Parts: sequence; C-alpha cells; structure tokens
Amino acid sequence: MRKIAFFIALTIVACWFAADRARAAELRIPQNATAGQPLSIGTSGSGEGTLYLIGPGEVIKQKIQLGQNIEIKPEQLRHAGRWVAVVRGGSNPQSQAFWVNPGPAENLSFLARPSRVPVAKQGVISGVAFVFDKNQNLVLQPTPVNFSLTVGGSGASQSATSSNGVAWVRSSSANKAGAAQFVASVGGNSVRRVVQQVASDPCNLRMHVAQRKQDQVVLETDPIRDCTGNPVPDGTIVTFIETDKTGRSVVDARIKKGIARAELPASDNANVTIAAGVVLGNELHLGGGK
Amino acid sequence: MKMKLNLTRVLVLTFGAALGLSGGIPLAKRVVSVWADAKSSSIQINFDNAKPREVEDSTQQSIMRDYSAAWKGLSNALSKNVTGPLNENFTGFALDKLTQRVKDQQQNGISTRIIDRGHKVEALFYAPDGSSIELRDTATIETQVLDGSTVLHSDQAQVHYYAVMTGAEDRWKVRILENTQ
Repeated sequence: MRKIAFFIALTIVACWFAADRARAAELRIPQNATAGQPLSIGTSGSGEGTLYLIGPGEVIKQKIQLGQNIEIKPEQLRHAGRWVAVVRGGSNPQSQAFWVNPGPAENLSFLARPSRVPVAKQGVISGVAFVFDKNQNLVLQPTPVNFSLTVGGSGASQSATSSNGVAWVRSSSANKAGAAQFVASVGGNSVRRVVQQVASDPCNLRMHVAQRKQDQVVLETDPIRDCTGNPVPDGTIVTFIETDKTGRSVVDARIKKGIARAELPASDNANVTIAAGVVLGNELHLGGGK
Repeated sequence: MKMKLNLTRVLVLTFGAALGLSGGIPLAKRVVSVWADAKSSSIQINFDNAKPREVEDSTQQSIMRDYSAAWKGLSNALSKNVTGPLNENFTGFALDKLTQRVKDQQQNGISTRIIDRGHKVEALFYAPDGSSIELRDTATIETQVLDGSTVLHSDQAQVHYYAVMTGAEDRWKVRILENTQ
C-alpha cells in the first residue's frame, strides 16, 4: 500500500514538474510602449530561455532567465510599429505581438521647392514637412509646424498643423530679390532651406541709340529692372530685331552690368524692336539721317 | 505461411500509404493555399482623395507599379535575408530601417516569411510640386518568423501602414514605411 502511495506521489510530482516546464514561457508586455523608452517584459516559468524581439527595423535575440523581468533598453526599442516578442523555453515557443508608439515630435524632414524663383509671384513656393520623433518615426498625432520665409530681414511666417505626419504651406515670393531663408520648425528644432529669389521679367524695357558709325548703329537699353525694381540678372538674353527692305537682322545680347548692347547694320529705313523673354520693349525707327 | 506473409505485406503497405497521405495531404493543401494567396494578393489604390493636388494618370500607374514592387522586394529581402531588393525599392529612413532589420536577421539566423493577402491603399497627400506622395495602406498579412527552420511565431493580422514615396532616378521609392495600430 505504501509503495502504491509513494508511486502515486512520485507521478504527481513528475507531472507537476513537467507541466511547469511545459508552460514555461508566458509573456507580460505593457500595451503602451513608446519608441526610445525602456520596456519591461515579464516572463513566467523557470530555467533558461531565449527571447526574440522582432521589430520593424531590428531583431534582438538574447538568453534570459525565465520567471524574471527582462529590461529592454531605450536604444533597443527605437522603431515604432508592430513588434513580436517570442520566448523559447523548454517547450513550444510562446509569442505575442505588441505595439510601440512614436515618441514626441522632435525632428523634421523639410522639402522646399523650387530652389530658384522669380520675385512677387503668388503661391509659387511650397514647403512640405514630415514630422518625426527623435528616432525618425513618423509622428501621426497632429502637430503644429511653423514655417517662415525671410529675405533681407523681412518676411512672413505661418503655422500649419500636420495631418498624418505631413504639414505643408504654399507661400508667395517676396518683392525683393536675394537668398530667402525658408525655415520649418517643430518643438525646439528647425530645418533651413534657401530659396533663391531672382528678379522677375523685365518691366518697361526701353532702348535708345547710343552711337552711330558709318555702317553700324549701336543700340543700348536703359538699366533693365523688373516691375518691383530688382535688376534683372546679368546674362539674361535680350533680343534686338531690325527689319528693313533687305530683310531681318537679329542680335541676341546678354545683359552686362544691367544693360544690354547690340550693334546693328545702319539702314536708311528700318524698324528695330526689342524683347526679353515674353516681354516686348519699345520700337525705334532708323533712317533719314536720324 | 505464405498467406500470413502477404497479409503482413498488405498491412505494412497500407500503414505506409496512410502515413504518406497523412503527411502529404496537409503539405499539398498548404502549398496550394500559399500559391493561391500569392496569386490573389493585390494592391488597390484609391487616388480620389489625395490633397492638395490631383494625382496625374501616369503618376497613378507609376505609384501602383512601384508600391507593388516595393512589397515584393520587402518580402524577398526578409525571407532570403538579402538587401538587394531593398536598395531597388526603398530609400532614406525606410531603407536604413529595413537594411538594419535584414542584417539583424542574418546575424541571429532568423528569417521572416510574409504571405501577402492584399492591400487597400488610399492616397492621402500629394505634394504641390509633385515630389512626394503619402499613402495609407490597410494590409492583410500573414507573418511567419523562423529561427532556422523552426517556426517561432505565425499570425495573420490587418495592419495599417503609412508610406511616403518620393521620385527617384527612374521610379518612385518608398522613403517612409511605418505601421500603426
């Protein structure tokens, strides 16, 4: 009888031990994990095991003591998204998926277009900012982003709230030419881009006869400026066209020191026109010794 | 004596056939299922609500082609632990992140099999200058994590992804890929 009782007790102990080993690896993971923050994962069971953490941008595999809490360092938990934790003990692996949320907005990725733009154009500059936390996870929570566009100390700023991680603005170019500083900022961090604002099309394009030679006439423009008074950049092409009974003479001259000059054949009866891009200037009549 | 031998042979043959069928049928079912899933996985993108700018027809086609290619590349990279398919389809933060994942997998002898069961995608944002587009993807994905040939984890889930694609040299590449609850 004693032998039977001992055998039954032994069987119970063996079964209990086997069952304990079999259920070795239950996981307890907080459901509000944040990227870049430490995380504590609870396990049950006893003995040695292996923990696998599979995240969007990393995989961690480490030996653990079952039954103890496992501390995950902030630098190991950098990416937001869906993670899977697996514990492999003496029996089948136990796994659980969990979510890691992005941290607070700290960084920006800022795209400003175009890099070169004429002055005084409505809504011609666009700025798009993607909002990230310190580990470059897209922050989907609406976040205010400030944009400012300044040139020569004067400018304008506006604020936009991000939606699905993106904030954007459209801005007009200033009246003054120069390198405009286009800055987007969130929290204490800002990102700067330079948008070169250049003079727009010429305004009041006018030419006059600068010099007469025996068989040539030299034409010269007044200083060429756009409609807000910015000098049109040197190198811009200005076209002089002379038309008389023998045909047409065309000269493409580059602006040099703010002025364009051209030498055209002298004629006793010719019309000369001037143009720069889509802008037409005044017209001159040459002839009759004038 | 001879009859007894024959009976034994029949029994062994029957047992062998039963064993073969019991292993083979689930395997065949699995192969057919994976093949059917791979064939039926699809990406549908709705561009109607993209703001602040309408997406041009040619851009829609390019995005559809390149986003599909990115998922195929991701699946290949994670199952074979190679970075080539990532370089072709990803750039910026997404490329850095996924390359690190592949390197970690290689180092730890792990691979991830993605069985793609389809994507319903909506274009949310198309930049005023046409340089970037943001997509929200509701993807149905079965994921298997393997250590060597041992399956550590397997699940099927509907996951929301936010993807930002930007124009690259000859195609659109995924610059940001982040999943969320």
